[in-house]
Amino acid sequence: MDRADAVAGDLAGRRLPSGSFGRIAFGFLAVSVLSGAALVPFYSPSRAFEDLERIEGGLPWGFFLRALHTWSSGGVLVATVLHLVQVLKGRTERQLAAGVWWRSVGLLPLGIGALLGGFVLRGDAGAVAALSIWRRILEAVPFGGTEIACFTLGSVPGDLAAAALHHAGTFTILLWLLTAEHGARLVPDLRSAVFAALVSIGLAGALPVALGAHPGTASTHLLLGPWYLLGLQGALVDLQVATGWAAPLGLVLLLGAVRHAEGRWRTGLVALAGACAAAYLLFTVRLLLLSRG
Amino acid sequence: MSSRRDLLLDLWRGAGAAASGGTFLVLHRALRGAALRPRETALDAGAVAEAAGAGGGVLGDLWVAGSADAPVAFSLACTHLGCRVAPAAGGGFLCPCHQSRYDRQGNPVQGPARHSLARVPLERRGASWIARMP
Repeated sequence: MDRADAVAGDLAGRRLPSGSFGRIAFGFLAVSVLSGAALVPFYSPSRAFEDLERIEGGLPWGFFLRALHTWSSGGVLVATVLHLVQVLKGRTERQLAAGVWWRSVGLLPLGIGALLGGFVLRGDAGAVAALSIWRRILEAVPFGGTEIACFTLGSVPGDLAAAALHHAGTFTILLWLLTAEHGARLVPDLRSAVFAALVSIGLAGALPVALGAHPGTASTHLLLGPWYLLGLQGALVDLQVATGWAAPLGLVLLLGAVRHAEGRWRTGLVALAGACAAAYLLFTVRLLLLSRG
Repeated sequence: MSSRRDLLLDLWRGAGAAASGGTFLVLHRALRGAALRPRETALDAGAVAEAAGAGGGVLGDLWVAGSADAPVAFSLACTHLGCRVAPAAGGGFLCPCHQSRYDRQGNPVQGPARHSLARVPLERRGASWIARMP
């Protein structure tokens, strides 16, 4: 029995699927990495939007490959969050060593960083805006924000080379390594991989991903960021820029601390995490309402 | 009582910490040196005159107004989080990311932006105006 299975085993002995979402997340990650690798030869960060147009319109099955990459990447995040919810609900986090738990919690911001990296690599108007916001938020980090921004996004504004390197390299490699450590297996099991592939293929066929607006387009309409960051975008309408780095950091610390708390403390921390999720959802809804005028 | 093994372990940890610290310092210096600097952009004097004559116009990442002899320019980067603002229908500017609004002079009037759009100094050089972008 691997560690993922051990986590899946409820304290009461019931075969809980808390590990199954984790395994499916690993399956989605594999599909995402493979489809991303297939896209690499046709993409250059120096002509991002033009290459996206070529992939969508000129490359046979290019639109499908891109949609497959997009949907499988989204699948990683959704399955990871569902896995986390089930672990917290089943109180199985103590079955992991403290270090492994903290590194596993780090998978969440790492995954979002990888997804956001993919979003900005589109090079369209929304991506250009997202890149600028990402840089400003990183620069707002006290003691070394400028350095963090330079390391993550490079020193030339608008240049996608550093983002591409981290998206395809740093983030992906770390995601794979930490997921492998967490699940105690180097590759996903066949069943999860096939399931993730089928779901991704189905979604890519049914819901192809549209090209965004040209980067030079000036729009007064609300430009929506990636779906998983709409809550943060909504929060930044009212709250300070520091919210952009402080809120994710706070959430990571909160989730990490759950592993060490017991009784009422644990209940309180989990409730606080739930309240954060509810607030995030409310900010998302508010932003969507704002976008409709 | 600490054994030789403990001593070696402590030495190993110390070396690791020193290597990490050194790496951090090198990285810090390298990235500090790579920090963003203002860049210069050349604007065609004819295009500047045209924009100024029309009461204002977008030239690259700038809004140029004023007169052909003494043009005034400011950056179209929102002072909230850097998104590119767009001229709004009723005058002024609107940011498409978090809905900050600016008046015709680039002063914030609504939304999360607290500072005016950055003025960009223009310097005449031959047939061009040189803008020092922030």
